[in-house]
Amino acid sequence: MIWKHWPMDISGNEGCTLTGALSVTTEVANSITLIHGPAGCAHHNVSLLQAVHLARDRISMPRIRSTDLKEEEIIFGGENALEEAIRETTRMGPDLICVLSTCVTGTIGDDVGGVCGGDWGIPVLALENAGFLGGGFYSGSLQALISLAGLCNPAAGNGTVNLIGEKSLEYEVEEQYLETKRLLALMGVGVNIRFVRHTSLPEIRRMGEASLNVLRDPGISALGSHLQARLSIPYLDSFPVGMEGTLRFLEKAGDYLDLDSSRAIKTERTHQRKILSKFSQLKGKRIRLDPSLLAPNDREGAFELLDALDMALDPQGFRVPVPDPFPVGTSGLLRLLHRWRRFAHA
Amino acid sequence: MMKQIALYGKGGIGKSTTSANLSAALSEQGCDILQIGCDPKRDSTRMLMHGRLIPTVMDLVRERGDRSLTLNEVVYEGYHGVRCVEAGGPEPGVGCAGRGIIATFQILEKLGALHADVVVYDVLGDVVCGGFAMPMREGYAEEVYLVTSGELMSLYAANNICKAISRLSSRARSRCRLAGVICNAKNLPREEELVSEFAEKIGSTMIQFIPRDQVVQNAELNKRTVVEYAPASRQAEVYRSLARQILNNRRLDIPIPLEMDDLEALAYGYLRE
Ligand SMILES: Nc1ncnc2c1ncn2[C@@H]1O[C@H](COP(=O)(O)OP(=O)(O)OP(=O)(O)O)[C@@H](O)[C@H]1O
Ligand SMILES: [Mg+2]
Repeated sequence: MIWKHWPMDISGNEGCTLTGALSVTTEVANSITLIHGPAGCAHHNVSLLQAVHLARDRISMPRIRSTDLKEEEIIFGGENALEEAIRETTRMGPDLICVLSTCVTGTIGDDVGGVCGGDWGIPVLALENAGFLGGGFYSGSLQALISLAGLCNPAAGNGTVNLIGEKSLEYEVEEQYLETKRLLALMGVGVNIRFVRHTSLPEIRRMGEASLNVLRDPGISALGSHLQARLSIPYLDSFPVGMEGTLRFLEKAGDYLDLDSSRAIKTERTHQRKILSKFSQLKGKRIRLDPSLLAPNDREGAFELLDALDMALDPQGFRVPVPDPFPVGTSGLLRLLHRWRRFAHA
Repeated sequence: MMKQIALYGKGGIGKSTTSANLSAALSEQGCDILQIGCDPKRDSTRMLMHGRLIPTVMDLVRERGDRSLTLNEVVYEGYHGVRCVEAGGPEPGVGCAGRGIIATFQILEKLGALHADVVVYDVLGDVVCGGFAMPMREGYAEEVYLVTSGELMSLYAANNICKAISRLSSRARSRCRLAGVICNAKNLPREEELVSEFAEKIGSTMIQFIPRDQVVQNAELNKRTVVEYAPASRQAEVYRSLARQILNNRRLDIPIPLEMDDLEALAYGYLRE
């Protein structure tokens, strides 16, 4: 409830489950997401997603439709409208339809699961988060991931890795992905699927073939456990964060995959040193950041850099940004140090 | 001056029967009456309409889609010129009947339908959400009558409606008040005393005792109000008396709901084994 937080909490703990779910479902290639509710619920979210896409030069519109309920459907029930909309949507030839309920359809008790459960010829997933029910943005996206995971089956592991729960609305989402992929490649490990980021239904169905799941961050550990139980795939609970964290990531991934990580770790450590040496101008700088804003992993990542470059925390020092989420891997640190250098006029 | 009254009470206690007979009696006493059934069951005005199920406002909205309705399409003249409206609503188990009531009120408002010497709102028993409290809102019924028998659960429901009234009356502009208690009897021993004491305890008064009588069912089966079907009966005289009481009633109270324990103790005191 917003009045409990002033200023409003704009982290993903609040917000709408619908937006969270959409940030996931719209990433399934050749799928259409149908929002069962008033047109406004779709409009807000399409605008938001499109703005984010455009900022990344992605021109296509998110494939979102609405059942466009009016007062009449609210009074007499919206199930017929939903059925009609699903029928129309199937004619557009998607591989998958995800149906999201909204506040008002949740309130009047439309049986979204029941309607979706009909025989539609393609999978029609019901995500009954109903907007206001059960948390905010994060729970909506988590619920969507869990529902989509229902589309795949257990299989034998092939030594690859799934990347789980990338935050499609995060500013540097592609950079974080490429860095994680680069690090895994140091050990010769490939990415099986991204769950979910431009991922097709046939790819999602192959999720079970990986030997390890790497979660985007520990916030979705529940999903990691769920997948472990369902597909017998163990998980690492975060993308690599910080210098030591990145090396530990390699070590742990190696352990899970039964690979010797020592050479990869050595290569990466050398790479990290080389990068630090480029920022000698930052040595001895007094900087200011607010550690209370950081998650524990991220705090470690920031303090490591302070130590490595002999910088000191000082309330009067240069204020430097620490992005949330913290940038991934060694490349993330490189980008961060560039910004710090600018902010510290070094 | 226009009088707007609403009857509330436990489901099946006799609100619609009482409303229809009250409207018929008031009309015979020279008043221009509008009775509005606020219930998807649409059974409020059936006896006034001689068994005809009139099209409901929500039926019309559903058929037309748009809101281009006229007054004659929603208001129907029944016994003795009583004008009848049924709100209607969705099929049982789907949609939102409460929103249907709100939409109906907006339409009636737009059509200028809400005028008469007395407007009688007959609301379904289970006031399950805000929509069914619509008649108690600003600008509608200022007088709420509780219909109850001496049965504990009926008193309990009436007491709960007192809570709603006293909550509403704390709003600055609300003029909704409790106008009195109507005992629609189940012919329990000392029922009249019990309901009368209940009414005093919540800070109101019992304005009419209506006995339970077979003639009510006979009239119902003949699709008539008692007032029309058996005008010479004692029961018809009771409804005419109720009409006079309500016309002359000046009491408007903010009720004090009872605690459950007190309510139980009150009912227990009248228990006869
Ligand atoms: N005084 C009475 N004597 C005999 N029968 C009665 C009396 N009052 C009501 N009834 C009968 O009780 C039944 C229910 O009455 P009614 O439909 O008026 O209740 P209601 O309170 O409007 O119900 P709901 O809450 O469902 O709208 C009817 O069959 C009616 O004939
Ligand atoms: Mg009734």
